[in-house]
Amino acid sequence: MPSSTLNTVIEDLKGIVGERWVITQRELMESYLRDETPDPVRPKPAENLVLVKPSSTEEVSLILKIANDRRIPVFPVGGRTGLVGGSVPTEPGIILSLERMNRIEVDRDNLMAVAEAGATLGELIKAAEDAGLFFPPHPGDEGAQIGGLIATNAGGARAIKYGVMRNYVRGLEVVLPTSEVLWLGGKTLKNNVGYDLMQLIIGSEGTLCVITKAVIRLFPKSKYMVTLVIPFNKRSDALKSVPAILRSGVMPLAVEYVQINEVLEAARHLNESWPVQRGFAQLIIILDGMSQEEVLGACEEISKICEANNALDIFLAETSEEQSRILRIRSNIYTALKPNMVDILDVTVPPSRLEELMDEVDAIGSKYGVYLPAYGHAGDGNLHVHIMKDAGNEHVAKKIKDEIYEEAIRLGGTITGEHGLGKIRLENLQMVLSEKHLDLLRSIKRVFDPNNILNPRGL
Amino acid sequence: MNIIVLMKQVPEIEKVRFDPEKGRLDRSSAGATTNPFDLNALEAAVSMGPMKAEEMLRDAIARGADRAILLSDEMFAGADTLATAYTLSAAIKKIGSFDLVICGEKTVDGDTAQVGPEVAEFLNIPHVAFVEEILQVDSCSITVKARMERSSYIIRLSLPALITVTKDVNNPRLPTLRDKLRAMRTPITIWGYKDLAEVADPRYFGFEGSPTRVVKVYTPTAERRRGQMISGQPEEIAQKIVQVLLENKVL
Amino acid sequence: MAAALKTGLTADCVDLDLDDDGNLLQIRPAFSGNIMAQIKTRTKPQMATVRYRVMKPLNRDPCRRGEVIVREAEVPEGTGIEILDKVEIMGVNISEADIIVAAGRGLKSPEDFKLLQELASLLGGVLGSSRPLVDSGWIGKEHQVGFSGNVVKPKVYMAFGISGAPQHLFGMRDSDIIIAVNKDPSAPIIGVSDYYVVGDLYEVIPPLINEIKRVKGLVK
Ligand SMILES: Cc1cc2nc3c(=O)[nH]c(=O)nc-3n(C[C@H](O)[C@H](O)[C@H](O)COP(=O)(O)OP(=O)(O)OC[C@H]3O[C@@H](n4cnc5c(N)ncnc54)[C@H](O)[C@@H]3O)c2cc1C
Ligand SMILES: Cc1cc2nc3c(=O)[nH]c(=O)nc-3n(C[C@H](O)[C@H](O)[C@H](O)COP(=O)(O)OP(=O)(O)OC[C@H]3O[C@@H](n4cnc5c(N)ncnc54)[C@H](O)[C@@H]3O)c2cc1C
Ligand SMILES: Cc1cc2nc3c(=O)[nH]c(=O)nc-3n(C[C@H](O)[C@H](O)[C@H](O)COP(=O)(O)OP(=O)(O)OC[C@H]3O[C@@H](n4cnc5c(N)ncnc54)[C@H](O)[C@@H]3O)c2cc1C
Repeated sequence: MPSSTLNTVIEDLKGIVGERWVITQRELMESYLRDETPDPVRPKPAENLVLVKPSSTEEVSLILKIANDRRIPVFPVGGRTGLVGGSVPTEPGIILSLERMNRIEVDRDNLMAVAEAGATLGELIKAAEDAGLFFPPHPGDEGAQIGGLIATNAGGARAIKYGVMRNYVRGLEVVLPTSEVLWLGGKTLKNNVGYDLMQLIIGSEGTLCVITKAVIRLFPKSKYMVTLVIPFNKRSDALKSVPAILRSGVMPLAVEYVQINEVLEAARHLNESWPVQRGFAQLIIILDGMSQEEVLGACEEISKICEANNALDIFLAETSEEQSRILRIRSNIYTALKPNMVDILDVTVPPSRLEELMDEVDAIGSKYGVYLPAYGHAGDGNLHVHIMKDAGNEHVAKKIKDEIYEEAIRLGGTITGEHGLGKIRLENLQMVLSEKHLDLLRSIKRVFDPNNILNPRGL
Repeated sequence: MNIIVLMKQVPEIEKVRFDPEKGRLDRSSAGATTNPFDLNALEAAVSMGPMKAEEMLRDAIARGADRAILLSDEMFAGADTLATAYTLSAAIKKIGSFDLVICGEKTVDGDTAQVGPEVAEFLNIPHVAFVEEILQVDSCSITVKARMERSSYIIRLSLPALITVTKDVNNPRLPTLRDKLRAMRTPITIWGYKDLAEVADPRYFGFEGSPTRVVKVYTPTAERRRGQMISGQPEEIAQKIVQVLLENKVL
Repeated sequence: MAAALKTGLTADCVDLDLDDDGNLLQIRPAFSGNIMAQIKTRTKPQMATVRYRVMKPLNRDPCRRGEVIVREAEVPEGTGIEILDKVEIMGVNISEADIIVAAGRGLKSPEDFKLLQELASLLGGVLGSSRPLVDSGWIGKEHQVGFSGNVVKPKVYMAFGISGAPQHLFGMRDSDIIIAVNKDPSAPIIGVSDYYVVGDLYEVIPPLINEIKRVKGLVK
């Protein structure tokens, strides 16, 4: 697209959303040109870009109409917390931020929220809480937006009990690249009319349509919640405990695996202190339920299993302050490591093979003489491995990544469990998908977006 | 060394709702928790409050307290800081031997920071408030670092003494599950007004013994942000911002 | 002292008044600053302390005459309290600051923090920063405000060239007054501010510094 084309539509865009909401100066859009992907692997943004902030679905539709007519690429962005460059505008075009579309209405009778795509995860959690309800998963950073969470089918720590983002979405309002508005699904819990386009769109990473609104399922607030921190000397003991816990009938919200170095580092980064200083390998388990008795009963069950696997002790955080401190430190492992990070991987294997995967990761680390910090959603077999700058150069980092991917696939797993493909994982797609599979994906893209204007990324 | 820790049960402050129109607060959605500053100060626990405060004392036991006493009686209700301090000091006298009394710096509800120093006065022992670090303890003294505005003071107190501690003094340890379960079965000693009558004058208990009265409460500013635009030439803008700073007494 | 006198005390008042009977009406914050309470004391003396800087000194009135009473005071010995040393607290403690002057990516170079530092010093405040400037090493981590930095609650938070990302707002949304200066009228920080200027921080700060100096009587 010649840059003059973009310039000719700026006045039209101002006509649609109002002058205030069209930003053309580069220095005012810096934070829309990047996401949380570590610098070394993040794609470079294009030069000629315009940032538009619509306030309604109609405005989104009008913007897409102009873009489609003039063949101008459009990049939907959410909270820009993605870790694979998904929202980075890599071609000259329009950056579409729905941040002003952030209304949330809670429907207590149906235990659902109707949220506009620009509302943040933090706002949804709070709206549910204010209505006396609960949005159980914690599928990412709280600055992520509903649109982004759905577009990436985000997972997160608390997916064990109620599942990933997909399990919460009941209905979607979307705008197609050809500007039509569609409502998919709704407030019913069951719906069997034809191919399920809604499920296809969840996880489509802004390549099929723009999500403008969603019906999201909420749950009753649990009466009682605790967080256990369980230290072990050996990783194998910690990881062996996980399948046993899940088999015992106890259903935790989250089972997280961390190693002492990383939590101590994250705590230092926040000027906090991690409550359990012993044990190389630690499990963090969040449990909820209707009463203290019920939950402590489950804790005893977990305690028996972990003690049989040589747990050093079982610590319990009951106050909401202590629990949020643990969660905040855990959530900041990533930010603490980020300055020295080259890439964050998101491999996933069947939960029972997590230990094998971690041993392989260690072996790969020693082979290249680097430390590969790793932690993960142990209950889901989802491991985040960090490649750090000590890898030396890009070439080595890429080799480490490819070898870890190969191991994950060998163990029956896949290359990404929750972060998605974005713009930096396409090169590895052939490792997991057949040519026929890729063909089908390309055809689907063409049906939705015949002119390839929406988040083009060259599949 | 015998340490007595004074603990108050308070609402989870982030869950209390403040109604700016009616000037009321709604504690119904908030669970009860240990005053966070008190968690930093724990060995043997005494609390004055309703029977519900038993939960908190059990938590104190799980975190390492050997013994817990709850002062609970209708006669104690409605106490201000003076009456609270008087009642607590009566309980400490009844316990008898102690070397150190530890309080939190202040509560998140009443928020006065007065109870600790008043208890010390009633017990006629030295005290230091806002202790952020305990430097040394021996059989007859304790040396602490206490915060006053932009300075810290290193102070030695002869024992028995009272200190109030800030959240910097330590990181409250997490209880183990085993201790938690044990604590749930530990009985809590409950003392009423009759138990304290032998060491104190009941006229100074509770609402009757309280010299201060809360006449009314209201929420200071409506939560919504003003969102006022300041525009003009740079000099005008500067004047307007300075005006705002002056109005808010930061200049 | 109140306990020794067995009288009521209301500390940290932000306002004092007298009722029709000449009794002290004491206004103080409670519930961690979320509410105000009006307190009366039934006993005498009625005792209150006031919070630092909430009362303004009156102008000096040279006509007033008052008697100065001099008494011998006996300082008791053996209080059991011995002050061994006094240590000034160095460095910043941003989470306790009353005034924070914060900058974000709108800042063009690390040297420009000097401009903000001058403003902060004049106000007795502390420098704050958004994450990108800390990540670039322009200022220390102890100045970072937000989810992965410090949570602050000053009386006045001034945000220069900060867009107002949710992770930044997490750290400062409970400030009493938020003043934002941003070139972009669509920046989210504007929606959460009490006062905002749509403009260039480099044009706003220098005259602001001059105006403060003028008000403080440092320049004509
Ligand atoms: C600290 C941290 C923790 C994280 N934890 C998790 C975790 O636990 N689990 C997990 O799964 N992920 C996690 N993530 C990454 C995760 O991908 C993001 O948190 C989130 O899902 C992305 O949402 P966002 O609004 O930031 O989207 P962005 O990053 O802005 O965009 C992501 C993708 O969604 C598309 N998109 C955004 N909005 C729309 C819309 N309205 N319509 C169509 N497409 C849209 C974009 O085009 C892009 O392709 C984490 C990230 C960070 C930084
Ligand atoms: C809005 C409001 C305003 C008030 N204003 C005043 C006032 O101006 N003057 C006044 O005298 N009273 C006042 N009160 C009453 C006062 O809050 C109560 O007396 C309260 O029981 C104790 O004071 P505090 O919560 O401020 O404790 P603080 O003095 O802040 O508590 C410091 C420490 O003392 C210990 N402690 C306090 N209470 C107990 C307890 N019940 N059991 C065990 N340990 C305890 C704890 O270690 C605590 O950390 C007010 C109450 C309210 C609700
Ligand atoms: C897990 C996680 C944790 C995070 N933690 C934090 C945190 O603790 N703290 C934090 O701040 N961020 C944090 N972030 C980052 C956050 O998402 C934003 O990226 C960051 O706050 C943006 O900083 P900024 O506002 O300075 O930059 P930008 O978003 O780039 O904003 C710069 C602003 O300056 C304006 N501007 C430009 N030039 C001028 C000028 N001359 N005069 C006036 N205005 C001008 C622009 O209009 C723009 O609004 C975190 C993110 C994640 C994912």
